[in-house]
Amino acid sequence: MTVINKEKCVGCKTCMKYCTVDAIHYLPEERKCYVDQSRCTECYVCVRQKVCPVGAIETVELDGFFKQFQHVMSDPVENHGVTGVTGRGTEEVKTNDVSGRVKKGFAGFSIDMGRPGLGVFLRDAEKVAMAMAEAGLVFEPPETTPLSALMTDMKTGKLDDACLDYHLLSVIIEGSCTLDKMSDVFRALQKVEKEIDTVFSVGLILRVDENGENPALRELDALGIPQPHRGKVNVGLGRPLSTL
Amino acid sequence: MTHSLHRSGDIESQKRDFNWFMYQTKGVNDKNIRDKALEFIATAEAWHSENWGDVKTGPLTQYSSEEIRKNISDKSRIRGVFTSKEQVIGFLKDIKAKDLGMSVVITGVLSEVLPACREAGVTPHSVNYSLGVWGNKSRLPDDDTLSITTMCGHHMIPPKFVEDVQKQVDNGKLTAEEGAKKLSNFCYCGIFNQIRCAEILNIVSEKKKRDAAGA
Repeated sequence: MTVINKEKCVGCKTCMKYCTVDAIHYLPEERKCYVDQSRCTECYVCVRQKVCPVGAIETVELDGFFKQFQHVMSDPVENHGVTGVTGRGTEEVKTNDVSGRVKKGFAGFSIDMGRPGLGVFLRDAEKVAMAMAEAGLVFEPPETTPLSALMTDMKTGKLDDACLDYHLLSVIIEGSCTLDKMSDVFRALQKVEKEIDTVFSVGLILRVDENGENPALRELDALGIPQPHRGKVNVGLGRPLSTL
Repeated sequence: MTHSLHRSGDIESQKRDFNWFMYQTKGVNDKNIRDKALEFIATAEAWHSENWGDVKTGPLTQYSSEEIRKNISDKSRIRGVFTSKEQVIGFLKDIKAKDLGMSVVITGVLSEVLPACREAGVTPHSVNYSLGVWGNKSRLPDDDTLSITTMCGHHMIPPKFVEDVQKQVDNGKLTAEEGAKKLSNFCYCGIFNQIRCAEILNIVSEKKKRDAAGA
């Protein structure tokens, strides 16, 4: 847990501009800064960058699984304990040429909750996950994506109630569905986006032809979703190459 | 993670912004990756990758190439920045010829990346398409700030810090290049494009000056 040692703090407010989610505040009556523990994501930017001129920012032990999960998801330096991956803890499309995670005839979804930069309470991640599951999304297993480890029901996307009030810098909902269900999942996202108090960035993962194209993208037009101009292109040099 | 995918800002500016990645697959080719990682780095350096790094050490803007290379382990993830399509083509051609068997990803504007793949003779396997930001967007910072903070996909760059650096550039206390370097050091992975960042800081500063002169 990240705290500001009141004995050391000189109230200069320098740290406030370095908080990724505005969780550091100033108490005028005490002339000290403090960390709002309900919003701090344990990203450790203020710690790693040594932003306090008097060294008043300190870490205390992260007690419990959810607190550690919050830190590992928010601080890209850490490896996720199960998936073994740094960052947000998933290989996603980056190794799809070898892992074959998203196959031909399927649409992969990579919903980056809280990104860009607002952070996400897990209760909002749960809302989005459950809406997508109801529309036909099948989640990646906990071995390959961290959020699934918090699900008490992998079919519905329900998360453990004890984790819902934790605030993370971001966490990714990952899963896939057959292409015939892709539009249903997007409609579910269009509905649930109005029911949450944060943002999410949407990634759609598809196997592509030799020109890097997939006709399934045309379905976006009927949904009113603009065609993408950016992409993360796996160029198929990994071995052994998945042909799935 | 999808940390290079969702960059924002002027499209023409994004066309000069590419990220390259080497990636190992857990349980398949994730052991003893050091020599292969060094080959990737050598190739990227030969094509003058403007920034690169390993999250376990940090970015080239903050650490020397030797320091980053020394700390490479099986947990490392090597990635970096190019600012032209020609660099991407040359990099892909050389990496293909070396046949290292690791997954390679290029992120950027598709109208630039896909032709680069064709010219390099590599065949795209899968694409993660960015479909933008959804939800309560009223809480987001302004577009100029976002165009900088989204260059660190893990969002290690606080919006208020960007505003602070921008003010220092506006006031002449920092050059845009100095400001961009300060910001880039917060992105441990080395995918922050400090060249593009300096351009953005300059453009915003100039616009403020014009607005002030016209007021």
